[in-house]
Amino acid sequence: MAAGLFELGQVFAVLAIAGAVALRVGLSVIPLYVIGGMLSGPFVAGRFGLAHVPNSELLTILAEVGIVLLLFFLGLEFSLDRLLAARSRITRAGVVDAAINLPLGIAIGLALGWSIVEALLLGGIVYISSSAIITKTLIDLGWIANDEADPILGTLVFEDLFIAIYLAVVTSLVLGGADAGIAGLGRSLAIAFGFLGALLLAVQYGTAFFSRVLDVSDSESFVLRILGVVVPVAGFALSIGVSEAVAAFFVGMGFSTSGHRERIERQLTSVRDVFAAVFFFWIGVGTDPRLLVGVAVPLAAAVLLTTPAKVLSGYLGGRVYDLTEHRALRVGIGLVPRGEFSLVIAALAAGGSTTVMQETIPALAVGYVLVMSVLGTLLMQRSDAVEGVLGRFFSFGTDV
Amino acid sequence: MTVYESDLPGVGKKHEIDLPDGSQLVVVTHNEGRREVFLRESPESDSEKLFELPDRLARQIGTIMEGAYFQPVKSQNIETLLGGDTLLEWVEVDDDSPIVGQTLGESDLRAETGASVVAIERGDDVIPSPGADTTIEAGDTLVVVGTRANCEEFEARVTGA
Repeated sequence: MAAGLFELGQVFAVLAIAGAVALRVGLSVIPLYVIGGMLSGPFVAGRFGLAHVPNSELLTILAEVGIVLLLFFLGLEFSLDRLLAARSRITRAGVVDAAINLPLGIAIGLALGWSIVEALLLGGIVYISSSAIITKTLIDLGWIANDEADPILGTLVFEDLFIAIYLAVVTSLVLGGADAGIAGLGRSLAIAFGFLGALLLAVQYGTAFFSRVLDVSDSESFVLRILGVVVPVAGFALSIGVSEAVAAFFVGMGFSTSGHRERIERQLTSVRDVFAAVFFFWIGVGTDPRLLVGVAVPLAAAVLLTTPAKVLSGYLGGRVYDLTEHRALRVGIGLVPRGEFSLVIAALAAGGSTTVMQETIPALAVGYVLVMSVLGTLLMQRSDAVEGVLGRFFSFGTDV
Repeated sequence: MTVYESDLPGVGKKHEIDLPDGSQLVVVTHNEGRREVFLRESPESDSEKLFELPDRLARQIGTIMEGAYFQPVKSQNIETLLGGDTLLEWVEVDDDSPIVGQTLGESDLRAETGASVVAIERGDDVIPSPGADTTIEAGDTLVVVGTRANCEEFEARVTGA
């Protein structure tokens, strides 16, 4: 008991220091939380015989709550009406994004000799951009008030919807793959879509319920009621082999129509941030830096191939929005950072049955996110220089 | 004036306001309440951040801009030229004005300054054509007609200067 509390204390102390460093150097907190976890986990601090944070069940469950709340917020901010209102442009930009980046990731996986499910996991990891890092950087750089913000945020909305469907399918493929056979897979997919379909119906027709649940002025009850719905639903989903993340996403969608969206965002953001920080820390704790060295070659290949691909797909998406080349390029650069959702997919992969899923993909994803979160932020901060370099190779920036 | 409103998923809302000189004012309202205000010199240029305000302060400043506390047309500095040298002027009566508590007749303002009070604004009420027995209260705004010289004299009397 005392030891557990002390370990948890270490977690928060390290996170606080990592957050301070991130503020100081002007980078996203995500890579620093992951590195903080890696350094204080069994593979670094433990090897040096120092007091370290073990990869305990407690930490895993807290991290799991982090995943649930990250996806809950995604659902909360996801508005089907918004998607439909701008559907032609968002869909065109989003389809270009998915059609370029997802197959590229799958191709890299297949080229490494992986199975189709393993390659599909890598496809998701390199496809999904980081809403958290991108949104924060847009605000920091003031791009949020410019025209490039619309296609960037629009593409993220499309990715959010795509990733919900993707996670529902891939969770079944990974978790249902253990009992093998088409029948087993069919059954787990049927359970997933049966449960999620029922949940979606509840969300669609349960607006009155969601509104009544939240009709309380006391903020403590308000927060507890939300957690009292989303966490059990997600936990039940996981217990029957369905993606807890997608269940949380749907519950978030349900709450978004309750008329309490702003209040939820105001009162639960800090709760989500605490658990999300523990999630990133937990990812770091479970990562052996030696494995990172082992995946150096595929990691380098993934970074070198997927960065230009994302810039290109974002550029084309920006052009769909009738932006100038200058602003369309910023859309491309703005979508480069990868973060939380790539790590959510990595955490899912770690529950798989093969060595590639249990070790290689998580290590690759951690390395990839560490590089892409920092690289993406730096590229955004120095977008003018990037444009200058690209301008020498292409006839760029003629219509600034 | 054209205002464009757009959603910023996960952030809040954006309002773009066209200004007369061709530039645009961009107001980003964050979900947590913070407002950021940007100026864009031309539609092609980058938005330059002017300032940001927390929710409460933004609302207070918004009501000031709206004129809830003070309407500039009632200002003592604003005057309307009626033609020739005749002005219509709004004069506020401060707490320490020497005429507070006097009736219009007692104050003898018209005889002394040549300007006459055609209305008194008191809170939300307006007293049109006040009689000589109307008492002047602190906080009143006197609507005055006279020549420029009359009005300046009148203002000097009211402020006690």
